[in-house]
Amino acid sequence: MKVAAVAIVALAILIAIIPIFSDCESQGRTLTLENGRQVSMKCHWTARAELALGVPLLAVGGLLAFSRRKETRRNLGIMGAVLGAVVILMPTALIGVCVNPDMPCVGIMKPALILLGVLMVAINLAVVVRSLGQEDEAA
Amino acid sequence: MHVIRLAIRNAAGNSFRSWMVFFCAALMAGFVISATLVIRGADDSLRLALERLGADIIVIPEGHERRLESALLMGIPVHCWMPDIIVDEVAALPGVVAVSPQIYLSTLRGAICCSLPELFLIAYDPATDFTIRPWLELNLDAGLALGETVGGSFVYVPAGEDKLLVYGYELDLKANLEPTGTGLDQSLFFTLETAYDIARLSDEYAVKVMDIPPRTVSSVLVKVGRDADVHQVAQLIEAEIPGVTPLETNKLFKDQREQILSLLHSVVALLVITWLLAMALIAVVFSLAVNERRRQMGVMRALGARRGTVLQSVLIEAWLLALSGGLAGIGVSTLAISLFQRAIIAVMNVPFLFPPPLRLAGLSFGALAMALSGVTLAVLVPAVRISLQDPAMSMRE
Amino acid sequence: MISLQNVSKTYSVRGDSSVLAVRNLTMQVEKGEFVIITGRSGSGKTTLLSLVAGLTWPTSGQVLLDGIEVWRLADKEQSLLRNKKIGFVFQFPSLLPTLTSVENVLLPTMFGDKVKGDRSRDRAVMLLEQVGLNDKLRSYPRQLSGGQQQRVVIARALMNEPQLLLADEPTSDLDELTEHEIMALFRNIHALTGVTVLLVTHSNDLAGYGTRLIRMAGGAITDLDD
Ligand SMILES: Nc1ncnc2c1ncn2[C@@H]1O[C@H](COP(=O)(O)OP(=O)(O)OP(=O)(O)O)[C@@H](O)[C@H]1O
Ligand SMILES: [Mg+2]
Repeated sequence: MKVAAVAIVALAILIAIIPIFSDCESQGRTLTLENGRQVSMKCHWTARAELALGVPLLAVGGLLAFSRRKETRRNLGIMGAVLGAVVILMPTALIGVCVNPDMPCVGIMKPALILLGVLMVAINLAVVVRSLGQEDEAA
Repeated sequence: MHVIRLAIRNAAGNSFRSWMVFFCAALMAGFVISATLVIRGADDSLRLALERLGADIIVIPEGHERRLESALLMGIPVHCWMPDIIVDEVAALPGVVAVSPQIYLSTLRGAICCSLPELFLIAYDPATDFTIRPWLELNLDAGLALGETVGGSFVYVPAGEDKLLVYGYELDLKANLEPTGTGLDQSLFFTLETAYDIARLSDEYAVKVMDIPPRTVSSVLVKVGRDADVHQVAQLIEAEIPGVTPLETNKLFKDQREQILSLLHSVVALLVITWLLAMALIAVVFSLAVNERRRQMGVMRALGARRGTVLQSVLIEAWLLALSGGLAGIGVSTLAISLFQRAIIAVMNVPFLFPPPLRLAGLSFGALAMALSGVTLAVLVPAVRISLQDPAMSMRE
Repeated sequence: MISLQNVSKTYSVRGDSSVLAVRNLTMQVEKGEFVIITGRSGSGKTTLLSLVAGLTWPTSGQVLLDGIEVWRLADKEQSLLRNKKIGFVFQFPSLLPTLTSVENVLLPTMFGDKVKGDRSRDRAVMLLEQVGLNDKLRSYPRQLSGGQQQRVVIARALMNEPQLLLADEPTSDLDELTEHEIMALFRNIHALTGVTVLLVTHSNDLAGYGTRLIRMAGGAITDLDD
């Protein structure tokens, strides 16, 4: 299933890149403490974490494109689905985004990551399901 | 063995072709559902906002019509003042059965990140109010007391605090209203008494004083008697009272409605083009597929398949792809639109309200049915052609 | 069982030229016969089989199968009759590439008027065993050799217990040894079931497998070797 591999690679790139341009800091907004120091907000750390998730997902997609054995494909699919779930969890549960609903991280970054994460999980699950009833050589 | 099984195998047999049809169907259904959701969402939202206003006419100082609309729709605060005697003047006019003043305020601008956004504040007069009370009471047992407030769905108390700070004044957020998709979602409602209290104390607590000019109001909401004509009353107000503009609420949001309408037009145009292209592509792909399988169809006919069965096998294959593609397209589009609600409101400059589940199910079903019919129409010609083919002929090269 | 009376078939080719594929042909085939039809390429053998099965109509003359002009029947009756009475082995690879051997053999049951379910499957497996493919039940056509594919086709032709087997050059792509194996298979089937067989071949060596030999040339039956 070359289509799935290509889709995973594309989604992985988007997951890594979109947050870099849509967290609040990229829009010039930081939290200024009372002592005048500027600190990064939650969404910035979520963006970093997503970058860290995008790289292994890229690898999953790349490896999937070249793997012939169904066990390998199944395992890659499981890994991709789990990582995809973490992509969703980062902005929603694990780290979160800013509280203010007007912030770009809430309006753009979070929904984008949830959407990409859902697609990522769905495609990887499809890969897993297909790998269960497939011959080795079919690609 | 069943025809469906055969169709599934045929679909799985050529994955490139099947993916093409899948994506085309996803595009068709996804586009339809997105367009419907956005346009109906905008429409619903406007209607709900009008219902919440609850007045027949809103009287405001001359020249503030546009700003009031954007305040109500997009939550961009408006500041306008007129003498409070106007309340009595309006009340005295024939045809008017109820009047109630309101004061419009806003929170401080440029609030630091991750705290409250700029809010539109609406202070009403509980003694005369007839517009806010009815839906306020849906959310609260009693009216609002001094220092109490009700907020739109986007209003929240910042983490770690238990009161809303407005000009240094601690407001008690009693309830959140249901979302309307308009500026009312980022508005706060409280009584005039509370407003004056905030103004008085802002001297002491706030970096900036909240100023309410004495003996002024921002607007007067008017209810017109049953037998009176709203338009005539509005004309009367305009003629009798200088310096004010009466806004008939059922004519409000004209710009937004036009915007929605023009959005509808361009979307429909785009939709038609996309659909035609997608259908053409599907037709071509299926013609190729069917041509490639001419012999196979001939064999099936020789083995005793009727014309109808051959037709069925092609149609079912198309339907399976259309159904799965359509569902995927609808799922992804709906998810995307529900996630990006805020961004849609900001970018398209129209209010937006996501439909309730049952409605959504209905719309999805409609979109799916449309995609199915579109795909059917696209494959009908090649499917019928192959089923009518003389079997002896189709078995020749 | 089969009766052709002065049958001609003309194909009109694009433009005004036309090809006379079958020329004023008259013949009878009785139930239980094993008729071998030979003739050079283009002599009208495939057209003759199509006429017999009612897959195409004669330009003139009459083709009767058990007293019925099949091609005149409505689509529904025509299809049902073919499904029940006739087994086909085609000149070209005719297995559906997306179906396994068993599923291909089961294909004719899909078009019948009654559903048989498990019993059909058992019969399909039995037929595949009979043609010597016990180990290839779940193989796809692309995983089979030409000879093996042709055996699956034969099993499929026998699925609905036909009274007439029409085989159009079933051994054309096969080596000589396999060719004889397949022909022996036909002879066994004929002996076992008593099915009427019309088998087309271009090789005269195979004439001995049948009970009767018909030679065709230029769309007509001829007694001469050409
Ligand atoms: N659909 C058609 N349109 C035009 N001419 C046709 C058509 N089908 C067959 N013919 C012509 O009819 C003649 C007989 O064809 P047919 O296929 O019956 O021959 P055949 O004996 O089966 O040949 P082969 O051994 O090559 O299969 C040929 O000359 C062929 O070109
Ligand atoms: Mg031939």
